[in-house]
Amino acid sequence: MSHPDHADESSRIADELLAIRCQLGEPDAFDALIARWHRPLWLYVRRMTGHDQEAEDLLQEIWLRVIRGIAKLRDGSRLRGWLFGIARRVLMDRLRRRYVAPPLDDLDAVDVAADVDPIDREADLAALDLALDTLPLAERDLLTLFYLRDLSLAELADALSVPVGTVKSRLFRARNLLRAAIQERNDR
Amino acid sequence: MTSLHAPAPELAARFERLARTELSRGARIAHVLLALVASALTIVVASLWLTEPSLPLRTSIAFALMTAIGLSWVVYSVWVLSARRVMFARQRVVAGRVAVTFCGVFSLGCVTLAAATDARGAWPAFAMSLALLTIAIGLWRRAESAHASLLARRDALERTLAGGAR
Repeated sequence: MSHPDHADESSRIADELLAIRCQLGEPDAFDALIARWHRPLWLYVRRMTGHDQEAEDLLQEIWLRVIRGIAKLRDGSRLRGWLFGIARRVLMDRLRRRYVAPPLDDLDAVDVAADVDPIDREADLAALDLALDTLPLAERDLLTLFYLRDLSLAELADALSVPVGTVKSRLFRARNLLRAAIQERNDR
Repeated sequence: MTSLHAPAPELAARFERLARTELSRGARIAHVLLALVASALTIVVASLWLTEPSLPLRTSIAFALMTAIGLSWVVYSVWVLSARRVMFARQRVVAGRVAVTFCGVFSLGCVTLAAATDARGAWPAFAMSLALLTIAIGLWRRAESAHASLLARRDALERTLAGGAR
């Protein structure tokens, strides 16, 4: 069995290679890009929208932006964060049209570690699955990317176009909200 | 996560078709040619407009309008190539070569015309065609350099992956 760090590194290299092949204009590379990232992007968008049809529409827009934008991606190793950043912007554009979204009140880079609590990951994921839908959109988005799509803090920073410190503070707040939501469910 | 819905199997194939349509070469070549032809015609019209003495007002307005129309076609085609039908590294190299060839022939035509006739607009047109040729050579060299860098990085990554797989 390969070491997780080695697997992460291989995955990062494979992403960068794919991005560079797309930037070169190899048609097969785009098929490979879609084959590799279609499902993770679908699962993220589907969870955030809650509808198959809407997720399909959004995914089409996402892939169009990816094809038109990948030539300008400067660092191919950041492909993952870049892809989810596009997905998130497309999603937020759509949701913004539908709702009057509350502004994201950024806590400045409070030096809070995102992984402060050693919560058991499996229990956390199960609780997350139940409680996620009760959270406000911004926190649901963040926790979906962090837990369900396994984006690192750096990748989240790329996806959200904010510094890593801001990601940490938002995660800290989102986890507190999640904790409160889970507690509320348990108290019922 | 039981609540997650898997994507429909045919969806990825639909997006692959979408990608192939988006990546088709025809529209890119057409817009590169449009940009080049519109640039050349704009230079010719602007040279005539600016060098012909004592043009009637109506003719001046007509030349100005034709110059503006030519410039708008140039802007439009460049916008399409940078935002809609984005060119990738290999296509940029090919487009660069086409542009250098086109601008070279155009410059040659202008200088021949200027030397062989006494057309007033020929020398200014030649000067502008040289500027266009300089831009084309710059873009071509940049495209070659970017393409070479990407190829080198691709080969290095493939070697790294092949080494790790052993």
